[in-house]
Amino acid sequence: MDRAEDIILKPVISEKSMELIGENKYTFWVDKRANKVQIKKAIEELFDVKVEKVTTMNVKGKLKRFGRNVGRTPNRKKAIVKLREGDKIEIFEGL
Amino acid sequence: MKAEVEKIENNWVNLKIEVEAEKVNQALDRAYRKLVKEVSIPGFRKGKAPRKILENFLGTEPLYEEALDFIMQEIYTEAVEQAKIQPIDAPQVAVEQFEEDKPLILNIKVEVKPEIKLGEYKGIKIKKPVVEVKEEEVQEYLEKLQKRHARIKTVVDGTVEQGDIAIIDYKGFIDGQTFAGGIASNVSIEVGSGRFIEGFEEQLVGAKVGETREVKVTFPEDYRDKNLAGKEAVFNVTIKEIKRKELLPLDDEFAKDVSQFNTLEELKEDIRNKLKEEKEKKVRQEIRDEVIKKVVENAELEVPETLIKRRIDAHIKRLDERLKMQGYSLEEYCEAAETTEEELREKYREQAIESVKTDLVLEEIAQRENIKVSEDEIFEEIQNLAKDYNESVENVQKHLRLKDNLQALTYGLLIDKTIKFLVDHSSPVESSNE
Repeated sequence: MDRAEDIILKPVISEKSMELIGENKYTFWVDKRANKVQIKKAIEELFDVKVEKVTTMNVKGKLKRFGRNVGRTPNRKKAIVKLREGDKIEIFEGL
Repeated sequence: MKAEVEKIENNWVNLKIEVEAEKVNQALDRAYRKLVKEVSIPGFRKGKAPRKILENFLGTEPLYEEALDFIMQEIYTEAVEQAKIQPIDAPQVAVEQFEEDKPLILNIKVEVKPEIKLGEYKGIKIKKPVVEVKEEEVQEYLEKLQKRHARIKTVVDGTVEQGDIAIIDYKGFIDGQTFAGGIASNVSIEVGSGRFIEGFEEQLVGAKVGETREVKVTFPEDYRDKNLAGKEAVFNVTIKEIKRKELLPLDDEFAKDVSQFNTLEELKEDIRNKLKEEKEKKVRQEIRDEVIKKVVENAELEVPETLIKRRIDAHIKRLDERLKMQGYSLEEYCEAAETTEEELREKYREQAIESVKTDLVLEEIAQRENIKVSEDEIFEEIQNLAKDYNESVENVQKHLRLKDNLQALTYGLLIDKTIKFLVDHSSPVESSNE
């Protein structure tokens, strides 16, 4: 997971993430093992923007039942990156 | 909005409409707001997804289709008015250009009302039969009344005569055997009414009360009970009672009994008036029909196939509904009448053409003479309807708001008014030979 493409998985598309765009904050699913510094670098490389701040959070997978069997969807990491004023990311390409 | 009309052929026109970019964007926006409420996209509550997400999710076509609907609703009537055309069918819409921020260009093909060359329609000459009530007619009516109010009297000693009602018991035999339905008692039979098998009633004439007679009859070939048809039968008939209708004398007393009048002369006068009114009504109807017929004959027009077809459809639908009410289907009816739906259509065609033609001509006259139906007239009609159906005015109004009912009512009033106009402007020629 050295490459930027491997760190940044895909954008989070939800009401909340759309709202955050208004504050110049963009939300992505990222590799579980990546840290803030790596995320910052990857975003800057991929989208040619300047990142001011990165916040990350671990999202626990949801419990899913199938009859008697209890399973879990994978744990994931979400990162919200704040960009320098004026920078933008078009994240709608690959929906 | 701009609208241009171009004639193609017969009654078809091409309507080219251009709608401003601003309106296009408005419509797209409205379409988005409508669609977004209906689609659920993961990550968003219903109605909360931004337009871009929605477009990516659904593709752009649904949005544009919806927007086109909105635009058509808004501008079609306006365009039709601007272009001064009268469409008679749903338009066929072809999109030439439809993009955001650009004007929308539509090519709409639509069938319009045919051009109507009206001939003479004012001062149509018609024969107007003179209304007169003859003395015999009054007398005839009076006799009917007399019969209806006849008293029924029991005849104690006497014999059965034509017109009497006899109460009888009977027992029938075929080849000496009784048969189903051949025995009955206390049956009342009116001699001369022809309700029994031929010859049965007549053979009772002259019988006394208490007398038993043998009546020989032959069941007709087409008798409804197949087992009995064509067979000879003997009935033992016992007369139990004879009742006779007794006509009341036609005098003032009679008038008092059957009407609110005191003298026979007054009753006669009333009958005369009633008959006259009836005849006048008939004459009015005849004049009406005659005027319409002549006016339509004088006009020149080509009746569009679409309208003919629609009229036939409506006729078939009415027939179907009527049959359904009696518990039959159209197919069953066709089978019973040994015909097909196509044949029925073909049969009705002539009539349909005539009725479409009449409507078109009358509409044209209404337009030319500026005949219009006012709100007051509609309201008056609604009140009349309410009275006729014993309903409240509100209920009638509610019913009228459904579908095209109000429009149909208004149209009916307009046609009526036009006909009245034509009748008022016709020149009747009195003629006594009916």
